[in-house]
Amino acid sequence: MMNRNASLGRRLMIGAGVFITAALVIAAILIAFVLHRFVQGQIDQRLDAQILFLSSMLEVDAGGNLRLAGSADGPPFDLSRHGWYWQISGPKNVLRSRSLNGADLAHPDIDDRPPPPPPPSPRSEDGLSPQDRPVPADGMGPYERRLHFRILTVATPAGPAMIVATSPRDAVMGPLWEAMRTLALSLGVLGVALIGAMLIQIRLGLRPLERLRSAVAEVRSGLRDSVPEAQPSEVQPLADELNALLAENAANLERARKHVSNLAHGLKTPLATLAISLRKQTTNTEELHDLVSLMDRRIRHHLGRARSAALGGPLRARTAIASRADDLALVLGKVNAHKEIAFVNTVPPGLAVACEPQDIDEMLGNVLENAFVWCRGEVAVSASEEGRSVVLFVEDDGPGLSAEQMSLAMQAGRRFDERSPGFGFGLSITSELAELYAGSLTLERSALGGLRVALRLPASG
Amino acid sequence: MKILLVEDDRLLAREIARALREENFAVDIAANGEDGQHLGETEAYDAAVLDLGLPKVPGVEVLSSWRKHERHLPVLILTARDGWTDKVAGFKAGADDYLTKPFRIEELVMRLRALVRRASGHGAPRISCGPLSFETQTGVFELDGLPLKLTALEWRVLECLILRKDTVVERGVLSEKAYEGDGGTDSNSLEVIVARLRRKVGKTLIETERGRGYKLVSVSR
Repeated sequence: MMNRNASLGRRLMIGAGVFITAALVIAAILIAFVLHRFVQGQIDQRLDAQILFLSSMLEVDAGGNLRLAGSADGPPFDLSRHGWYWQISGPKNVLRSRSLNGADLAHPDIDDRPPPPPPPSPRSEDGLSPQDRPVPADGMGPYERRLHFRILTVATPAGPAMIVATSPRDAVMGPLWEAMRTLALSLGVLGVALIGAMLIQIRLGLRPLERLRSAVAEVRSGLRDSVPEAQPSEVQPLADELNALLAENAANLERARKHVSNLAHGLKTPLATLAISLRKQTTNTEELHDLVSLMDRRIRHHLGRARSAALGGPLRARTAIASRADDLALVLGKVNAHKEIAFVNTVPPGLAVACEPQDIDEMLGNVLENAFVWCRGEVAVSASEEGRSVVLFVEDDGPGLSAEQMSLAMQAGRRFDERSPGFGFGLSITSELAELYAGSLTLERSALGGLRVALRLPASG
Repeated sequence: MKILLVEDDRLLAREIARALREENFAVDIAANGEDGQHLGETEAYDAAVLDLGLPKVPGVEVLSSWRKHERHLPVLILTARDGWTDKVAGFKAGADDYLTKPFRIEELVMRLRALVRRASGHGAPRISCGPLSFETQTGVFELDGLPLKLTALEWRVLECLILRKDTVVERGVLSEKAYEGDGGTDSNSLEVIVARLRRKVGKTLIETERGRGYKLVSVSR
C-alpha cells in the first residue's frame, strides 16, 4: 500500500506511469498480432495463387502421369533452395519446382494421411469454396529450413493429386520484425511524450494547492485577511472552510478584545473613585467596600462574557445534575448548620445537561446558596425534561421576593442585602451563564412559600 | 483563640493577620501548603483559614492530611468567586465553612468565632458563666452586664477558659492558645495574666488546679 502521507505528485506519477506502460505494452502486442496476420495473409494469398496456377496447368498424359502445360517456375519459385517451393504428388508421379533442386518436400500431412478438413475461414471473397481452399501447415523442409505450407488436394482424371506450395518462415518473420522495430520505437516515443505531458499536468493540477498555501502564509503574516474567494471547484470547499475558520477566529478575538477593554474601562472608574477616597482622611469604609464589590462584580461579569467568546462552537459536555446538587447541598448544609434544613432532591439520577461541570456548579451553587440562606427549613430541587432542554427548579420556603424585587434581582450586580452574603448577585451571574448556554433563568413563586428559580439548560445528547 | 492562616499572598496574609490580631486572635501564618500542613499537624489551633490555591501542596491536600492525622480543628476555606467546584472538593476533604475572595474581614472574624464556638460545643452565640458572659459573635466579655476591658493576651486566656468552662484547661494548652508560634512561653507570664484576670473578674471565678492548670467555674465553691 502507498503511504497515506506520500506526496500527491508522486502518487499521481506512479499511478499514471503504471497505466501508460501497461497500455503501451498491450497496444504493441495487439499491433504485432494484427501485423503478423496481415503479412501471413499476403504470403498465403501468393502461395494460394501459385497453387491455383499449378492446378490450372495440370494435365494427365496417356500413361496416367501428371504433367504441367507450361513452366510454373516464375519468381520467387525460380530461386533455388530459398524456401519458395512447390510440389504436385499424383498417383503415379511427382512434379517438383526447380528450386527444390530435386529434393523431396516431405511433410507428415502429405505422406501419411489426407489433410485435415480446413478450418472455417472468414475470407471467402477469393472465390474458393471451403473444399477448394488450401490448408496451412508448418514444418521443416529440405536443407534444414523452416517452411510454411499451403496444401490442396485436387481431383484429376488419373486420381487425386496433392499440390503443395511453401514459403520460408523468414518471409513472415523478417518483415514482421522490421515493422515491430519501428513500432516499438514509436510507442517508446509516445510513452515518453505521455509521461512528460503527465508531469506537466501534475504540476499544473497541483498549482492551486501551492497558491492556497502561500495565501494562508500571507494571512498568517498579516498581508491579507482571508484566502481568495475564487478557487478551482475542488479546492473551493477547503478555501471556504479556511475562510470560515479565519472569520470565526477574528470574531472571537474581536469579542475578547472588546471584553478586555470593557473590563478595563469598567474598573477604571471605581479605581479613580477609590484613589480619591483614599486621599480623604475621613474615608467612609462602607463606601470603599461598595467600590470593591462593584469592581468584583464587573470583573466577574466580563470574565463570564470573555468565556462565552471562548466557548464558541457546539458543546459536547455532559454533566449529570443530581449528584452535583447533592455535593453542593453538602457544602451549604454544613455552612448553614445552625439551621435545621431539609434538602429534597428529586432530580432523576441519569438526567444530564450539555454544560461544563464547573459551570453547572457555579449556576446551581449560586441558586442553592440563596435558597439555603433564605429558607426557613426546606430546600427542594427538581427537574423536568422539556423537549431538547432540561428545566431545573430550586425552591425554598423562605420569604420569597415581590414582583419588583424579582425584576431587580435579575439586573447585574444588584444586591438586596449587603449583610447577607452572596444574595442577589448570584442570580444575575447565573442568568448570564445560563444565557451562554442558550438557556435562561426565571423567578417564580414557590408552592413552598418562598422563591422558585427555574433554570433552563440544553439537554445532553 | 489561636488561628492558623495558610495563605500564599503575602499582602493579603499580612492584612488578614493584622485584622485578626486587632480582634485579639493569636495568628500563625504559613505561606505555602507544606508549612501549613506541618503546622496544622504539630501545633494546636482553635481554627484554620486555608486558601485552596497554594504553592507546593494544594489546600485540599493539606486539609485531607490534617483530617487523616486526626486534626479536627474547624477549617474555613478561601476560594475564588467562581469556585463552587473547589468548595465541593474542600468540603469533601473536611472543610467547615468557606469565604469567597474578595471578602470583608468582619465576615471572616464572625465566621471564625462561630466556628470555634460550635466546635467547643456551644449552640447559642452567648456563653455565660456566673456573672461573666461572652458574646461569641462580637467577642465581647461582659461582667454583670458591663463590657470588660481586656488586653489581647488576657482575652485569649479568658476565651479559652470560658469555651471550656467547668473543665480544667491545662497550662500547656492555655499558653499554646494564647501565644503565637512557639511563643517562648514562660509559665510565669501565664500566671501573671491569670492574676490580672482574677483582679478583673473576681478571684473565685478562676480556680487553680495545682500542677495541672486553671478552670473557670460557673458556680463558685
